[in-house]
Amino acid sequence: MLPSFELLEPHSLDEALKMLATSEATPLAGGTNLLPDLRAHGRAGRRFISLAALDQLRGVEHKGNRVIMGGSTTLNDILRDPLMPKAAPSLVSMAKVFAGTMIRNAATIAGNICYGSPSADAIPPLLSVDAEVTLTSAAGERTLPLDSFLLGYKKTAHQPDELLKTVAWTIPAADSANLFYKLGRRRGDAITVVGVAVTVVIESGSCSKARIALGSVAPTVFRAKEAENILIGGPLTAATIDQAALTAAQASRPIDDIRASAEYRRHAVHMLVRRLLTQAWQTSGAKQHD
Amino acid sequence: MNRMENPLAGVKSEKFRQVGKPLIRTDSPTKVYGTAVYAGDLTMPGMLYAAVLHSERASALLRRVDTTRAKELPGVHCVLTAEDLPASQGVMTDMPGQTGGMTKNTKQPILAKDRVRFCGEPIALVAAESVAIAEQAIGLIDVDYQDIDGVYDPFDALAPGAPIVYGDDNVVASYKIRKGDIEKGFAEADVIVENTFTTQYQEQAFLEPEAALAWVDELEVLNIRSSTQVVEHYRAVADAIGLPHNRVRLRAEFVGGGFGGKEVMTIEVWLALLALASRRPVRLVQPRERSFLSHGPRHPFNITHRTGVTRDGKITALQISFTSDAGAYAKLSPYILLYATVGATGPYRVDNLHVDSVSAATNNLPACAFRGFGTMQANLACEGQMEEIAKTLGMDSMEVRRRNFIRTGDANATGQIIRSAVWSDQCATQALAALGKRPENSQTTRIGHGVACYQQSYGRILWMKDSSEAWVGVEMDGTVVVRSAVADIGGGQSSALAQITAEILGVPMKEVVVYFGDGAVTPLAGTSTASRALYMSGNATQMAATRVRENLLGCAGRHFSVEAEELDMNDSQVFVVGDPKRSMTINDCVKLCAAEGVHRHNLAIFKAPTSEGIDPETGQGEVFPDFTYGAHAAQVAVDIETGEVRVLQSIGAHDVGQAINLRAVEGQVEGSALMGQGFALCEELILEQGQLQTRSLSEYLIPTSEDVPKIKAIILESGSGLGPFGSKGIGEPVYAPVAASIANAVTDAIGVHIFELPITPEKIVKALRRKETVG
Ligand SMILES: Cc1cc2nc3c(=O)[nH]c(=O)nc-3n(C[C@H](O)[C@H](O)[C@H](O)COP(=O)(O)OP(=O)(O)OC[C@H]3O[C@@H](n4cnc5c(N)ncnc54)[C@H](O)[C@@H]3O)c2cc1C
Repeated sequence: MLPSFELLEPHSLDEALKMLATSEATPLAGGTNLLPDLRAHGRAGRRFISLAALDQLRGVEHKGNRVIMGGSTTLNDILRDPLMPKAAPSLVSMAKVFAGTMIRNAATIAGNICYGSPSADAIPPLLSVDAEVTLTSAAGERTLPLDSFLLGYKKTAHQPDELLKTVAWTIPAADSANLFYKLGRRRGDAITVVGVAVTVVIESGSCSKARIALGSVAPTVFRAKEAENILIGGPLTAATIDQAALTAAQASRPIDDIRASAEYRRHAVHMLVRRLLTQAWQTSGAKQHD
Repeated sequence: MNRMENPLAGVKSEKFRQVGKPLIRTDSPTKVYGTAVYAGDLTMPGMLYAAVLHSERASALLRRVDTTRAKELPGVHCVLTAEDLPASQGVMTDMPGQTGGMTKNTKQPILAKDRVRFCGEPIALVAAESVAIAEQAIGLIDVDYQDIDGVYDPFDALAPGAPIVYGDDNVVASYKIRKGDIEKGFAEADVIVENTFTTQYQEQAFLEPEAALAWVDELEVLNIRSSTQVVEHYRAVADAIGLPHNRVRLRAEFVGGGFGGKEVMTIEVWLALLALASRRPVRLVQPRERSFLSHGPRHPFNITHRTGVTRDGKITALQISFTSDAGAYAKLSPYILLYATVGATGPYRVDNLHVDSVSAATNNLPACAFRGFGTMQANLACEGQMEEIAKTLGMDSMEVRRRNFIRTGDANATGQIIRSAVWSDQCATQALAALGKRPENSQTTRIGHGVACYQQSYGRILWMKDSSEAWVGVEMDGTVVVRSAVADIGGGQSSALAQITAEILGVPMKEVVVYFGDGAVTPLAGTSTASRALYMSGNATQMAATRVRENLLGCAGRHFSVEAEELDMNDSQVFVVGDPKRSMTINDCVKLCAAEGVHRHNLAIFKAPTSEGIDPETGQGEVFPDFTYGAHAAQVAVDIETGEVRVLQSIGAHDVGQAINLRAVEGQVEGSALMGQGFALCEELILEQGQLQTRSLSEYLIPTSEDVPKIKAIILESGSGLGPFGSKGIGEPVYAPVAASIANAVTDAIGVHIFELPITPEKIVKALRRKETVG
């Protein structure tokens, strides 16, 4: 049964931040993490601050080659944004396989990031485009790379009085590919077994930048930086790609659970990173040919 | 559509006006508009809310259950433990039919006393003024457990020295079949193929969890309105709490899915006790997590086949062993094991056969009825074995099947002669053909096609001596009423009765109202289980409607001075065939009957064939009224790097005898395609030391709308069934071959068979690796 809780409903961002500063309360966005948790093992009498009325937190702004996404933007908002397929292809691929339609209508990007789950699907794509997060509180604002925001299992740099206001990134360069794949035990509403996002940027026939972000295979979503480095500075041969993929698999620290064993997860990282890098190299290479 | 001469029921050669058509079911509009009332929607003034305390331990002594703090909580009206229950402690958990007896020792305590045998066993009941208070009270009950040794694997449970959960030796049931000369059969074989198949726990995962409302009425009758497949549990409730049978009235509401999970009594007796103790109406809707503990899932089975075959694919001998995990209480395990035993050979003729089957008690969740009822597990092994035999012989697996299919007039595993049509070959051939051309393999995906056939009974075990009653009557305005206590569990059970009646009385289906599911005021119809509702209640309704028709035509005949045979009924008119001017409306005809004092209604009883059981030494004898045959074919794409499987096409082809409502039949095929896909690929209740690890629908994975493949139903009609108009049961049969067809398609795709369900990506990756290293 869902325990009773108190719900504060601020009408402006300032009001919300004041509430956060003065009372012990938890932001409630789509509630698709908070409410199932509360029902499963929560106690009664918690206090939540609804972000529903704070329109300025929702929506995507495209400013030149920058994308600024409000924290309350939902997964379905991402799919409805006509510029998103260019601005972050991996994010769109991800949103298509995120949960199911009902949850996508409610689930927000800030909720996904701040819950800090290792299986949060939005995080690998956002890490693959070097996203930054801006946090705001009654005391002021701060911006930091998403990569350093994630600290550990369900642990982030988010402070109790802060709201995640925006996630922002620079649109990937023209000669690049940005891909995502989610491996789950079924196609809809599945907790990810392995999530992979990659970015490959090509300059004059060689790889100038690479990102490999992995979900569900460590206490937190992380970038396999050692594997990324293997790719830099040359063309991506089958051998380099396989070596990078293997390195990414070795960098993973998965667990055994009811969905899959650690051994399988590592194997899947190897296969999927190899596959996505190969595809990325081929598609970005093809772009160069045109 | 094809028909064959029916040796039993007599083929109706006339064209049907309504039967077989995809008419709108009588229950569809209310479900589409959201106005249908389910048990959990019911409320009454002064109603209390129940909650149940389930054991957290799998095997423990209950040293103390202290309800003091719970009872003191304001808003709590009553808290019941085993101490408070009537002396008859125990509720029957098997289904003896109207007259049959119980199998040995299947009573289960209503609430645990002194000892808990599985994690989830009910310990205490609370009724309070709100769900919140009831839940809080549950949390205030102190239980002092003392863990004792448990056993969590059926093979361990059968080993000497195992902790005893049931009886003297943990054997819940065992059967054997000894047929022909197995030694001779193996001697005649060119090759012997041996494999072991295992299946997992499967959860029914109905949309609607257990729900019921109970109260004591002004006549001192205990009323229960429940989500159940079995109205006649009113007797079991009465017996369990010491009331006369006529003081318990059970009504089955529309059921949001049963699949066998609401066959054995679930929460009814708890609510009965709370309503009696509190003298208030009490309602319970089990939360999903507790629903998982409140009914029995599908039994895990371990099945070994040792098959002798000749080089040209003919089976000469077959030795089969079954071991099923019954869990902590017997429930229906003996019957389910019997179904598996009878179904051991699938749709194949095997003259030299040994079967040994056993169901063992453990401290796991008690398993129980689930669509297919043991037959589908048996079938899965048969169909996997067909592929393995074909591979060994280098033959096409359909060819092996063809050489062994049972045919009309052959004896099945228990020596029962099959009298209805057996269209396994036609069904399998059509289903496979409908898959069409294989898409190309890509670098990392492999396409596979698989097929599976089956034999599944419909109707209950013959020595249960099953019967069903139905009442049909015509009102003075020509509208029609059907009364039947059939439980409408979502398969169109009541609607089918309307369609049959509309056909016979020549009225539009919308002119027929079916009152169903009331143990006190509608004629008793037996269970909505065993794919028997249409077979039994359909026949009873057909009989009653036919007699009403005879009465009406008799009156009309006298009026028109013609023989009744010269008359027909259609569009609410009674008319002389070939002379449309001589006609009257059905309401005028009914008025004639009334004036003449002729019955405008009829109460009919349909009685199934019966037998006295099987020989315990040989397993030979008649067990079921009849069987349904058909096939399912699947097309899958397997990612050979990650092991992911995608079902692309799922096609069921079944000889349903005669469709009553074509759309409803297709619905059964579609639902079964997904349910079987779940069983094949992703569904699994995982237990560790008896503790459920997959406690919610986020861990227990049923296929979602995103996982739906292209599904097609191919409906064949031999007209040879024992149901109304030659129909056969289809609710379970359509499900029987699905998982096997998907497993076989995966084998076809990757070249290695996975013998253990569910076929997870991980198992595929491992199997492929093994294949690589073995070569
Ligand atoms: C059926 C189902 C399927 C799901 N499938 C997926 C899936 O496929 N992939 C996936 O990644 N997740 C999935 N989830 C989990 C969940 O939907 C996502 O994590 C979602 O993005 C959470 O967003 P929300 O708005 O609902 O967060 P909430 O539940 O409202 O909040 C989550 C956390 O974030 C905090 N928070 C929210 N907004 C802010 C803010 N602006 N500033 C600071 N803190 C904030 C909250 O305080 C809370 O701690 C699924 C959940 C369900 C129920």
